[in-house]
Amino acid sequence: MNLQRPILWVHEEALGPANPALRAWPEASALFVFDTLWIQQQRISRKRLGFLYENALELPLTLRKGEVASEVIAFAQRHDADGVVTSTAVDPRLQRIANAIEAELPLQELEPDAFVELPRPPRLGRFSRYWREAEPVVWEGYSAAG
Amino acid sequence: MSRAPSPPISGDLPRDFSSREALEQLLADAFPQAEGPLSPIRGGREAADDQLARVQPGRYAKSRNHLDGAVTGLSPYIRHGVLTLAQVRNAVFQRIRKRDDGAKLINELGWRDFWQRMWLDLGDGIHDDQEDFKTGHDSGAYVRELPADVRDGTTGLACMDGFRDQLVSTGWLHNHARMWMAAWLVHWRRVHWKAGADWFLEHLLDGDPASNHLSWQWVASTFSHKPYFFNRSNLERYSEGRYCDGCPSAAQCPFEGSYEQLENQLFAPMPSIRDKGNDRNRRDRRANNRQQSKGGGNAALARPKR
Repeated sequence: MNLQRPILWVHEEALGPANPALRAWPEASALFVFDTLWIQQQRISRKRLGFLYENALELPLTLRKGEVASEVIAFAQRHDADGVVTSTAVDPRLQRIANAIEAELPLQELEPDAFVELPRPPRLGRFSRYWREAEPVVWEGYSAAG
Repeated sequence: MSRAPSPPISGDLPRDFSSREALEQLLADAFPQAEGPLSPIRGGREAADDQLARVQPGRYAKSRNHLDGAVTGLSPYIRHGVLTLAQVRNAVFQRIRKRDDGAKLINELGWRDFWQRMWLDLGDGIHDDQEDFKTGHDSGAYVRELPADVRDGTTGLACMDGFRDQLVSTGWLHNHARMWMAAWLVHWRRVHWKAGADWFLEHLLDGDPASNHLSWQWVASTFSHKPYFFNRSNLERYSEGRYCDGCPSAAQCPFEGSYEQLENQLFAPMPSIRDKGNDRNRRDRRANNRQQSKGGGNAALARPKR
């Protein structure tokens, strides 16, 4: 995907400077949206919102509240953007929002830094199995550094 | 980064606050339904870096199960990507002299990665019982609403009311306290894990549905081969007695007793628990059928010991 002037959608899983969209597009305008429906339905307390807000304030983001996909699309129009760049989300709610954005605009999702890169998907269902495969690979980084 | 926020237009939320009280007032106005005060735990990378600088991998390994142990307090920052697991991993590597010093903490970071991978695999399925309860009680036997005295912190149990107060006022709880509270709600109060798990997410700054819900299920036994429970001496030991001393319910503490006594009291006879080992059914959401699979029974490896 060859976007020329995207806006960035920053979501709750990547509110730090390591956000791959922020790193890849240092000049692009970026948005964080408080998801009012989620806040209401899940009875999210003010301290959680304050924590999100303080995280967001340390990044060069425009902050809004409302229906997230609509807000992101409106922000793209505000900046005459040709698409949206974001970081890949794990939360299915965020994935659904990404799908709603993508129905309207080109969307590029960038992978955040992995904790461990495994040659093939590990066996899940039990931590010990996953860890048997992951632990040696994690510690390769220590040998290389030390 | 050279970018600046876009010039504000109508509907943009403010970025400049004269004080934390001003932020709190804005939140009260913009989100009137969101209850309670701000947490003393601050957001932002600067606060996260301060916390990261205090991490002591060696002490963590020795003392992490104690409420006053050297736990990292990083979970709210990791959950929201303020710090990535990769950054924390590298910080641990730089701080240790030998692999053993960091093994436990790196293992615990692995748990976070594992829960995230489970979430990708299960999706919204984390909200459903992954398996049947191994408590001898049917899923329908558990109350679906959080009892008012639990929500209000008026149960008369100094430990549980204390955990509730800390949860509600700070949005953070030590993992051991989370497990005790979950076990009490599910096994003593017979409240369905989902009611407790959802309540935790109202308040926890780390509010990670995957690790929260699947850990509640691990306690409840719908994501493990047996229920997790505890007794008074365990709680007293790892809390350094801070709750039991002066607890109004000390004389009739519901957690008093041996594990065998409590097991008999809490769980209906279910001879198959011990026979089953780790073999159990796990929902395969993609195929929408049930298949035999080995599940997360060894979650105990990373959990506080009873």
